[in-house]
Amino acid sequence: MTVPRIQIRGLSKRLPSGNALLTVIDRIDLSIAPGEFVAVLGPSGSGKSTLLALMAGLDRPSEGEILLDGRPIQNLSEDDLALLRRRSIGFVFQSFQLLGNLTARENVLLPLELADIEGAAARADALLAAVGLSARGHHYPSQLSGGEQQRVALARAFAPEPAILLADEPTGNLDQATGRLVLDTLESLRRDSRATLVLVTHDPDVAGLADRRIHLRDGRIDREERRIAEPVA
Amino acid sequence: MASRLVAREARGASGKILFFVACLAVGVAAVVTVAGLSDGVDRGIRGEARRLLAADLAIRAERPIPSEAVRAVEALLAARPGSRRASVHEMATIVSAPGRDGTPGPSALALLKGAEEGYPFYGEIRTKPEQAARRALGPDEALVAPELASKLRIGEGDTLRIGGRDFVVRGEILSEPDTLRVGFSLAPRVLISFAGLGRTELEAFGSRVDRTMLVALAGRVDAREVETAARSVRRALPESSGVRVQTYADAQPALRDGLRRAARFLGLVALVSLILGGIGVSQAVRAWLATRVDAIAVLRCLGVRPGEVVALYTAEAALLGLAGSVAGIVAGIGMLAVAPRVLSGVLPDVPLSVWQPQAMLRGLALGTGIALAFSGPPLSAVRLVPPLRVLRREAEPLRPGGIAAILIALVLFAGVWGAASIQSGSHRIAAAFTVGIFVAAALLAGAGRLLMAGASRISGRRVRVMLRYGLAALVRPGAGTLTAVTSLGLGVLVVVALALVERGLVARLRAELPARSPNVFLVDMQTAQWADVQRILADAGATHVTGVPIVNARLVSIDGVPVAELVRRRSGGGRREWILTREQNLTYMDALPSDNVVVEGKLWSDPGRAEISIERDFARDMGASLGSKVVFDVQGVPQELIVTSLRTVDWKSFGVNFFLVVEPGVLDRAPQMRVAAARVPAGSEQPLQDRLAAEFPNVTLLKVREIVEKVAAILDRLGLAVRLVGGFAILAGIAILAGAVGATASRRGREVALLKTLGATRGGVVGVFFVEFALTGLVAGLVGTSGGCLLAWGVLTRAMELEWTWRPLVLVAAPLGTIALSVIAGIAASASALRKRPIEALRSF
Repeated sequence: MTVPRIQIRGLSKRLPSGNALLTVIDRIDLSIAPGEFVAVLGPSGSGKSTLLALMAGLDRPSEGEILLDGRPIQNLSEDDLALLRRRSIGFVFQSFQLLGNLTARENVLLPLELADIEGAAARADALLAAVGLSARGHHYPSQLSGGEQQRVALARAFAPEPAILLADEPTGNLDQATGRLVLDTLESLRRDSRATLVLVTHDPDVAGLADRRIHLRDGRIDREERRIAEPVA
Repeated sequence: MASRLVAREARGASGKILFFVACLAVGVAAVVTVAGLSDGVDRGIRGEARRLLAADLAIRAERPIPSEAVRAVEALLAARPGSRRASVHEMATIVSAPGRDGTPGPSALALLKGAEEGYPFYGEIRTKPEQAARRALGPDEALVAPELASKLRIGEGDTLRIGGRDFVVRGEILSEPDTLRVGFSLAPRVLISFAGLGRTELEAFGSRVDRTMLVALAGRVDAREVETAARSVRRALPESSGVRVQTYADAQPALRDGLRRAARFLGLVALVSLILGGIGVSQAVRAWLATRVDAIAVLRCLGVRPGEVVALYTAEAALLGLAGSVAGIVAGIGMLAVAPRVLSGVLPDVPLSVWQPQAMLRGLALGTGIALAFSGPPLSAVRLVPPLRVLRREAEPLRPGGIAAILIALVLFAGVWGAASIQSGSHRIAAAFTVGIFVAAALLAGAGRLLMAGASRISGRRVRVMLRYGLAALVRPGAGTLTAVTSLGLGVLVVVALALVERGLVARLRAELPARSPNVFLVDMQTAQWADVQRILADAGATHVTGVPIVNARLVSIDGVPVAELVRRRSGGGRREWILTREQNLTYMDALPSDNVVVEGKLWSDPGRAEISIERDFARDMGASLGSKVVFDVQGVPQELIVTSLRTVDWKSFGVNFFLVVEPGVLDRAPQMRVAAARVPAGSEQPLQDRLAAEFPNVTLLKVREIVEKVAAILDRLGLAVRLVGGFAILAGIAILAGAVGATASRRGREVALLKTLGATRGGVVGVFFVEFALTGLVAGLVGTSGGCLLAWGVLTRAMELEWTWRPLVLVAAPLGTIALSVIAGIAASASALRKRPIEALRSF
């Protein structure tokens, strides 16, 4: 049996709220296979983004374990977590989060240089071409439209060929047409790289593209749905 | 209402307020410390004035006190039974321990004081053992300073030879009431009785003696009565007698004048820190207003007039200015509390209070004034916030137009000039200071702009993106690079200039004397002794021996105008009065030494007249020119001389030189002494002095090296005080850099979180910041150091006419130190941003 890419066991996260502790994630168990596309849905405050942050090692659980490729990460140091993200995890945010002082191309180059990947420049150019922005590489984020910025963010996220891509409502700030374009780009990049994708969204249409949909409510998995394999024509 | 609005406005801006207050406080602390020390020492001297004079009244002269003055004092004593007087004579002389088996004992230069019984009338002499001062000194007893005792290896009960006479050391003298221990004494003290001084016969030899007659009036006398008494003595004196009559209320006028001048100089150095604080204030106000633009637009929509908006924020700036000034005053009081310990040996030894209301008031006025002047430019933009911004966010505040901008600049210029005038007491110096500051700031800002332009142009292909990221950080909006470079650079400029001038002076002093220059001088020698002294010099291997006669005289008139009238005509007194009334040293010689150059007229060119040649600058200060007739009183005999040549003298040659040289044949029969100079081989100075002390105890040998070392040591200590004040400027620069970083904390925090999310380690992020702050420090350090070099070069070569020497250590250490300070301060100020965990990237986005 293959080792799950992401394995979560008895995961809880409690955050201080006033004098009390608020349980944001409540004893979740979850296993995500390599190459799987999982959409996480749920109302605001259900714990979607917190779950994503815990998977990325951006936050530490109150209880439970997170294993990436069978390796527990909850006890790694901040720097080890940073090194893990550098090689293995890509991130896409709802509000793009490009570094405003760097050009589009430099934003894509940044993770490649951090990871000391050879041929970084060629790869950055190839990725910009893949997201259809070859001509805009020298532009600063403020000179790009929202959709263009998010496509640069996608290129940046895929740059170091991460095994896992975590996306937090990547189309949330975009109009429908642009969102569609970004999703198509995401899907094509994912297919090429065979990365595992965990995507947080409110949008049932977006979630419809996933292999599995996980609905969160009050920090727990409310229900899970699998996409029925489409018959091969 | 206004205060409530102000309080509301300040809500949520505690970081910016803290920065505003801190920037100003550093500068105000510097101003208060300097002014407080100056006022405190001045007050301390005035408070202890009676003790410091050791009397109510003192009559001082470099020659025997005229009989008119003595009679006037006697009349005073007769009019107030119980009043007393005592004479105190001081002179530099060589004293020695007795020799053994025909070898002379060790000798040393000392300041000999012979005092009549009754001295001191106020204060006390402290000695070790304590009882040594309890009874009057006998004619064969002496008290010696501890450093002299240890140098000559003598102690209580041992013999000390003064002027060829033996004295018994009764103890060590630790302090005298009328000598402020400021570490400036060039030679250690020996105290003997007046009868003892008579035994030495040193005065009879015609040595240079400072004579003081101290008077204590009976009963409780106030300053007014003492002044009346002083006036009666002054009236009795012939005009321009050169005799000074001081009362205790005058309280060491020369020392206090010197302190005041030092305080003015240091006051300007302190003002640099305050101006840097002003730059910080300007930056803080700008950052604060940037967050208030929307609120201001709303206020405008609600009907508040532009003038009212400006008034509101000006009031707020004034309040903050007051707060910063008060914080600075508190810090200044703290500095005043520790200053006496840090500056021991530099400050006069008087009680010093930390409570200095005038200095505090000055800090408050200058602090608030500078805060308002520097808040002006950002505040003026508040007028121009369009109410439309409520509807359209992109409606930016307009920039002030031409006339407004000029007015703002003028207000700023006037503010700095006004503050400099207060600090320096001179409008002219203040103007030069203000122009200098603005030019330096403009140059630094220019360098900052170049750095930013360079940073944004560096090709992405050449450098790694993390380095590029650090470079880009310099150019980000609101990065404060310009302010940081300007303020830090100005601080570095001041400190480097001060350090280089001090080093230049000390190095010049300590520099190897030219091979032909004399390294010993012999003074107080009688003409008859010259032949034997020459023999002793020859035995010691001396070369370049020169000996010239010296005749004491007093100036009577120039071109028929009596000195008293000349003094009256020249307002300002001070040095010019001293030049006219001092005891003049005349010499005569056939040909001038090679370091003299006649620049006007011709030497000994009028066979029919008695001629004099005067050093050019001295002639100018006297008010004499070519052809002037000057009359001297040569110990009772008037002598008219005509100025037939003016000379320049290269004083740096260390040769025996005179301002006034008379044609040979005129003064040959006048009472005279001889002064000589020689170069003796290294190591033979002390044996020469020991032998001279044994054979010719009236001859005083001055060792150039020893004196130079003492002066250099004094400069070194004074330099400490100057460096401390200069250090405030660096501190202010650092505070501003840290403030600029703090102002961008939230943006930095966001970026740190994002970089960490993308896989940057903490070390990697620190590296990015390092690049940014190291470059800021590098540019500030390089430009500041260059500016400091230029300023020091100007002062040393133009004002002091010294040679310029490059000091690689300073040139390397200053920029490196600036980089280190900039990096440490910048990274420390980024600590909260660096601590941000990547989860915050998700939470806050």
